[in-house]
Order: sequence, then structure tokens, then C-alpha cells
Amino acid sequence: MMLQDGSTQLLCLTATSGVPLFTRGASRQLPFSIIGSLNGVHMFGGGQEVVLSSCETEGGGKVVWRVFHDSVMLIAVSGSGHGGAGSGKEKEAHLQRLLENVWNCMVLVLGEEELVNIRNVERLKRDLRSCFNLIDQLLEEKQEGILGNLTHCADSLLPPNPSLVQAAVDGFTQAADSEFGCLLVHGRMVSATEKWWRLAPQEIVLLAALMRTLSASGSSSCDYPVFLPHGSPTVAHRLLRFQLLPGADVCVLCGPTPSLQRAQSGLVVRFWAPLAETLRECLTVGGRCLPASVSLHPDVLAFLLINRETRRSISCVLCSHTTTKPSAAPVLSNGRCWELLKLFYNFSITRYFSQEETLCASQDESAQRNTTEEFVRGFTHQPLQCYLVTEECKSYGLQTAQHQLFLLVPPSVPTFALRTVATQTLTDIVTATGF
Amino acid sequence: MAAFPSLAAPGSVVVSDWHRCKESKEFFSKILQKMRRKNFGLLESPVMPPHAAVDTVDYKVFLTGKSGVGKTSLAARLAGLSVPKVHYETTGIEVSVIYWPVKLRDSGRVLFFRLQLWDCGDNASRRFDHLLPSCKEQVDAVLFLFSFTDRTSFDDLSNQITKWTEPSVCHIVKVVVGTKYDLFMHCDVTERDVQDFQETWRLPLLRVGGEVSEGLGDVAPVLNCLAEQLWHQDCIAAGSTCRQTREKTVTLI
Repeated sequence: MMLQDGSTQLLCLTATSGVPLFTRGASRQLPFSIIGSLNGVHMFGGGQEVVLSSCETEGGGKVVWRVFHDSVMLIAVSGSGHGGAGSGKEKEAHLQRLLENVWNCMVLVLGEEELVNIRNVERLKRDLRSCFNLIDQLLEEKQEGILGNLTHCADSLLPPNPSLVQAAVDGFTQAADSEFGCLLVHGRMVSATEKWWRLAPQEIVLLAALMRTLSASGSSSCDYPVFLPHGSPTVAHRLLRFQLLPGADVCVLCGPTPSLQRAQSGLVVRFWAPLAETLRECLTVGGRCLPASVSLHPDVLAFLLINRETRRSISCVLCSHTTTKPSAAPVLSNGRCWELLKLFYNFSITRYFSQEETLCASQDESAQRNTTEEFVRGFTHQPLQCYLVTEECKSYGLQTAQHQLFLLVPPSVPTFALRTVATQTLTDIVTATGF
Repeated sequence: MAAFPSLAAPGSVVVSDWHRCKESKEFFSKILQKMRRKNFGLLESPVMPPHAAVDTVDYKVFLTGKSGVGKTSLAARLAGLSVPKVHYETTGIEVSVIYWPVKLRDSGRVLFFRLQLWDCGDNASRRFDHLLPSCKEQVDAVLFLFSFTDRTSFDDLSNQITKWTEPSVCHIVKVVVGTKYDLFMHCDVTERDVQDFQETWRLPLLRVGGEVSEGLGDVAPVLNCLAEQLWHQDCIAAGSTCRQTREKTVTLI
């Protein structure tokens, strides 16, 4: 079955000498001897000119290796969960993505220089602790409704009044001597400057994750030095974040000026006070991600819609709606719905649809995609739609040149009706919002 | 100590324990929401009815101390935010804004203190040169933190404080806070040490630690002490002709 979940442990070692730098995740750490063996077997492969990238245990556990810049090795070890046949491919893709995200986190906080030219291992160990907050978030994946780590698309929220918000973001960013600015509501991107959207997709997702952590702390403003893993891996920029209202944060990526104090006292109120009401309207959109004016097919349990061109996504779980229906089968919890949505996304992407190539797609990653390509190459056509029926729900995926939609409906909906529900949902959202 | 501003005796400038008085309720209710502290965005502030409008005075407070002493925890505790359960390094500057109503003893006037707590990760401030100057820019008070469970953080205090005794910064209010006071099993700093320290430096020293309680009693001593010293210092500055007074009244949104 594709539906499984297990805890994941992350190991980080120096690639050349195998010195452990840190381990995160899972309450019980792996014994040192096992960590050593995992490193050793990879090294042995290296000596035979073989790159060991992943392996599966008999019980369904999975280990994935990846070396970055010949300097740092990351290993992800995932427990067996209650997986069975066929679960390996999705899990591997998931872990590969995790390692890539973790590396990007490390670069974001410390910069590439320190990670690639390791001079003092003890110092690096100490400095790496600054990344733990972000890394733990990646491992826990607790935040419901945030799928960017998986999709590398910006989790977005569509506001009722986009043009007003856009103008404010543009104006504020410019006044802060920057070209990169964005507005986050409930941790989702509402609006951003044109330049912000030109950052690498991983960077957009990573910065959003950082902003969510900062926002969750409840502080009013921040000045965080950040390196951009692709755009600026060796020179730090300043990420300024201001909490306009609880749940609504505006961020800009700056150079040396303006100081946090100046921006906070001189710019925030000037640009945003007139928009307080508009921001409150955005806050009321909440987890639905769509203005209330957009009506959805009543059978939709949850959906994820990706715009393949802009690399943005909206997603939402509407489970509570079904509780009113007496006929509905056992009601899924919101958490389970999010989990199923993620698993179905992973399922479709690893088997049928293609995930947009990310800018930095490395050798290993394209190797990992081969499984999809193999399937696709066997046919002269590209799959456009797919569906999966399980005990818990029915899932339907469809892709067009512009969009990918992943949809969950209750098992009570007849399978032949899935396509209609899906195409209608896509049309409803796109015509109403222009997403 | 000529290098320090004169101290206001506790309770001589502001009414201590005012949050327990009945008459303070209408003011404190503005910073509470469902019995908990309200989190204000930068576009918000406590709003009083027009007939009872109060002035707001804005101050910048810098938190300093060794990595791991609990700067972020203290800021969260004082702001009524959830205190992080796991220690993560702060890798930049985080500012928390606190609104705190205070009644002045002499005039009976009520003011809202808007305290910006500037918290900067110790290791980050070493890695990036621009962070400390940013924290020190136009700062009104410094909170020196040490942990009762970390002797070196206490021993380092004198060094830290000496850096703030130069004429250009000597008027800045200084308060010392000892954190993790509840972990007496691991206590590394004795009462005697604290007494000696206070005799040398004559700075207000407060102790915090333990479970965060629901009420305001937990944070009132620290916030009142800070407000008292800040207001006292402003009065001295306003009285002396050589120092220009800063008009710090913030317009309510």
C-alpha cells in the first residue's frame, strides 16, 4: 500500500573522514557502530566506483545517502512504518527530497563556504546547531497544510483583493531599498514582488519555512542573516520580517540598509496601516486558501492545485463538511486527510506525472526520476489523469499544460464520477481566481 | 558609581503591584485576551476609550548574555508568548513588543509603556558584524542576563557591564536578570555571590525561572522595575539642560 508513515532519522557526517557532525529526528538515536557502518558501506562503494544512493531493508525500512560538494554526507534512515510492496519508490523520492532540503537549510543559515571548506570540525559542529530549528521542522512535518517541502512550489493563499495587496508589497519593498519582498498570511504566500518569484523554487519554499518559524515565535520583527543556496550561497543577505497583525507577516530581503529599527519605525506603519482591513480580510480566508466567493464541489474532501508555470500551489482540506452528512463513511480527521493528500501526490509524481525540474536538479536526482521516465518512455503518450481507490478515500489526479490537480473525495462517490468532479473543481478555481 | 545613572528605589516612581488594584483593571484588560496576554502586531496597540486616553512611551531594550542563558525564553515570558520547550539558537535579531500599563506614584498619571525587547543570538552576533550595532542603535536599556545554572555566564557579567560604562552609553538603564532560578538542584551561583555582585555594581538584580504562570504576577516585577528605571532616567535627562529630551510619545493607531 502507498499509505504508510514512519519516523525518520537524519545523520550528517564529514564526507572525507566520516566524523559525525550531528544527528536529528527519532527519539532513539542509532548506535555509533551502525552510523559507522552506514558510512563505511557508502565509502566501500566509492572505492569500487559505485555510488550507493539508497537501499531497502527486509522490513520495509529505507536508507538514502547523498554527498554534497564532496564535503558533507547526509544519510536519512526511515523506519518501516506499516509499508508493504510498492512503498519503496515513494519513500525514496521523499527522502531524497528531504536530504536536498536539509542541505539547503544548512547553506541558508551557515553559507556554502563554511560547509564546503571545513577547516575546524569542532567549530562547524557548534555552528550547525543554528540549523536545528529548521531541520527539525523538516523532519517533523507537523505543520498541516504546508506542502512546499514536497512540491517545491510556494504554498499560497489567494486574497479577496489581490491588486491592493500587491501594490502595498511592491511599495514597501521599494521603500526598504529592496526588490525582494513578500506577504505571508497564516504562513502562506499571499503576494510577492516580481523578483521574489524569480528566486529558485527551493529558496522560495525555504525562506517561507524560515518565516513561518519566526512568525510562530510571536515576535514582532526580525533581522536574520540568510544565504541563498542558489542565488547567493557565499554572501549573506538580511531577511527582515515584520508581524503586521498576528498571522500576517511582511518580509523583505535586503542589503546593509535600512536598519531594522529604521524600517520598523519609519516604513511599516506608513505603508501598512491603510491596509489593516484588507489584511484582516486575508486572515479570514484562513486554511481554505480561497476567498469565500469561490464555491467548490460538495464532494471535495481535500485538494492540492499546482500552477506549473508560476510554481505556486494552493491546498486545502474540507473534511469538516462531511460530518454533516449522515451517510458519510467514517470521517477522516484533518490530519489524516493532509497525510493522504501528500501520499497521493507522491504516488502520482513518482509513477505517472512529472515533477517540474528544479533549477539545480542534480545527477542523483535525475537518476531517481528514471523510474518515472522508464514508465513514460515505454509509451508514446504522457499520462494526463490517474486515480486511486482505497478504503479510506478515492483520489484523482489530472494534469494540463498549466496545472496539476490532486483531489480526494469520500469513498461513497462513484468512481466514474471522479473525473467530472476533478475537471469541474479545476475550472471552478481557475475561472474564479485566475490562479 | 559615577558611571551609572542614579537608581530609583523600588516602588518610588511607579506603583508596584498596581496590577493587583481594582482601578488598574480597565488598563490591564487591554493587554489581555481570554485571560491570556494579547499578541499585538505592529499595526495594533491597546486602545482605550476616548475619555480615558493614555499616552504611550516607547523604549528599546537590549537583551545580552551568553548563548543558552535564556534570552529568547525571557523575552517570550515577558511578552506572554509561549516559551520554547527546546533550546534553539537564535540566528539573528528578534524583537518582541510588550505593552505594559504603569501608574506613576507622584502624579497618579497612567502610561502605557511600549517596550521593544531586542534579542540577538550570541553566536550569530559573532558571525555577523552588523547585528550588534543594530541592537545598540538608540537603545534605552540593557538587560544583562546570567543563568543560575551556568557559573561562567555569571562570571562574565562584569566584563559585559564594563563595556556599557563609557560616557556615551553610561546614561543607559542597566538591569541584571538571573534566569533558571528554579533549578536550585543545579544552582551554580550562591546567594553570597549575588550579594557581593550587587555591592560592587549597585544595579537592580531580578530573578526569574520556573513554570510560566497564567497571571501577570510572574512578569510584573521585571516589567515594573524596567519601567521605573526608564522613566526615572528620562526625568533626569529632561531635568539636565545639556541632554536633549527625546519626545517618545507614540501616536495611537
